[in-house]
Amino acid sequence: MSAVRKLGSELLPFVVALAIWQALSAAGIWPKVLFPSPLEVLEAFAADLTSGVLLVNLWVSLRSLLLGFVVGCAIAVPLGYLMGLSRAGRNFFDPLVNLLQAIPGLAWIPFAILWFGLGQGAVTFIIVMSVFFPVLHNLLTGIRMVQPVLIEAVQTLGAGRADVIRHVIFPATLPNLMTGIRLGIAFGFRSLVGGEMIASTDGLGYAIFNAQQYFQSSRIVVGMLTIGIVWLAMDRLILRPIEQRTTMRWGLVREGLEPA
Amino acid sequence: MTDLLVARNVSKTYFDTVANDNVVALDDICLAIRPHEFVSVIGPSGCGKSTFLRLVAGLDRPTSGEIVVSGRKVTGPGADRGMVFQEYALLPWKTTAANIEFGPRLKGLPKAERAAITQRFVELVGLKGFENKYPHQLSGGMRQRAAVARVLANNPLVLLMDEPFAAVDAMTRQRLQEELAVITAHERTTVLFITHAIEEAVFLSDRVVALSGRPGRIVADLAIDIPRPRHWDAVAHDARFIAYRDELTRCIHGRPKA
Repeated sequence: MSAVRKLGSELLPFVVALAIWQALSAAGIWPKVLFPSPLEVLEAFAADLTSGVLLVNLWVSLRSLLLGFVVGCAIAVPLGYLMGLSRAGRNFFDPLVNLLQAIPGLAWIPFAILWFGLGQGAVTFIIVMSVFFPVLHNLLTGIRMVQPVLIEAVQTLGAGRADVIRHVIFPATLPNLMTGIRLGIAFGFRSLVGGEMIASTDGLGYAIFNAQQYFQSSRIVVGMLTIGIVWLAMDRLILRPIEQRTTMRWGLVREGLEPA
Repeated sequence: MTDLLVARNVSKTYFDTVANDNVVALDDICLAIRPHEFVSVIGPSGCGKSTFLRLVAGLDRPTSGEIVVSGRKVTGPGADRGMVFQEYALLPWKTTAANIEFGPRLKGLPKAERAAITQRFVELVGLKGFENKYPHQLSGGMRQRAAVARVLANNPLVLLMDEPFAAVDAMTRQRLQEELAVITAHERTTVLFITHAIEEAVFLSDRVVALSGRPGRIVADLAIDIPRPRHWDAVAHDARFIAYRDELTRCIHGRPKA
């Protein structure tokens, strides 16, 4: 497939969605304040971009998201391997994790505000709480799914416990870890927006909330789309290239079920 | 010549959670294997032949008795007893070459030496040109060749093989059997081979040990007096081959195969 056709097929879904959106807003079924047109959103986007508001909010939100994600992973990943690889670790932490996991990240907001005050500190804290569980759970599932025969095979080649962990467990858990990271980021975005609406005075979530107060519905859409575009960029520029170089190259994960 | 591998009065009982009862898988197995000998263990499914191999590999512990390899009692898995599995068990994240190099790498051999070993065994099993492919890019037969090379490159005292050709198609199986016959004769590898296919055992082995159905006991220990390596074209109609096959069939099933 040529580069042009490849680009075309990737853009097609967005073009179709945009056309439907344009048609619906042009039909004038709903007032503009309830259903802004693509052009209005584009204008709002350009205005927020040139005024610098959008970039400042984006920077504030991304900083909290990445910090929360890194801290959440830094706790969840070692804890996951500890729980997955040691019976004592599992017996101790499993009940606690089970108790805490049903509590949504947003439920931590009151304490987050008490502990960190209003602002991005509180937001970052609830992102940590939201990223932690999906990463931990997918990692634990991955460890449970490692084929025993792979471990036994390397043991008969002379591998000790450290070799088994490094050469079998780590790579074998990578597909599930990537799933956990994707879910973690997705959960992190939810908490980011929710947290900023309640506990902050800047960031994309706050911008969306604030725009609604002033009936600036096209700016609500700008905030929403910015989140979507940021996620898309993360996926295409960071996560997918990692997967293409590892799990997909190893044949552990495929693009889809259709024949190659 | 002193025995390389000795199993003394090995029994294995395990608790079957479905039947809620103790099951005797192996009962008082005594077996000695000399260096360079190719020994196959055959028996009906569930006779404990794979269990026996796992005990030799050190992946499970016998309930009583002991297994001694080169004077050392088996207490766990080790590089002196490399195993080839029916399901290949190659590491999906390593190329053919990296899989074959894995054992020498664990031993800490210098890079140049590892490369030379890898090259030699890649060529020995006929995988030249596929060094940089990942296991999922290889056919079943090629994967099993790589798995055999991976163990041989690690220079074990004994090569353990657990029904290694059960998962490949019939034509590939015959070719792999002939290749293994040539390689093990050429390298003078000591092999303990598990299979339920009587002909395969007779074709490959110096000796075939037959186990009864559960509990597994040795019911025959037959020397196959045909020069190795053998080829299917020559051996399939050999009267000796047919006689060995029928005798072992009688031992296991009580009557020759129709």
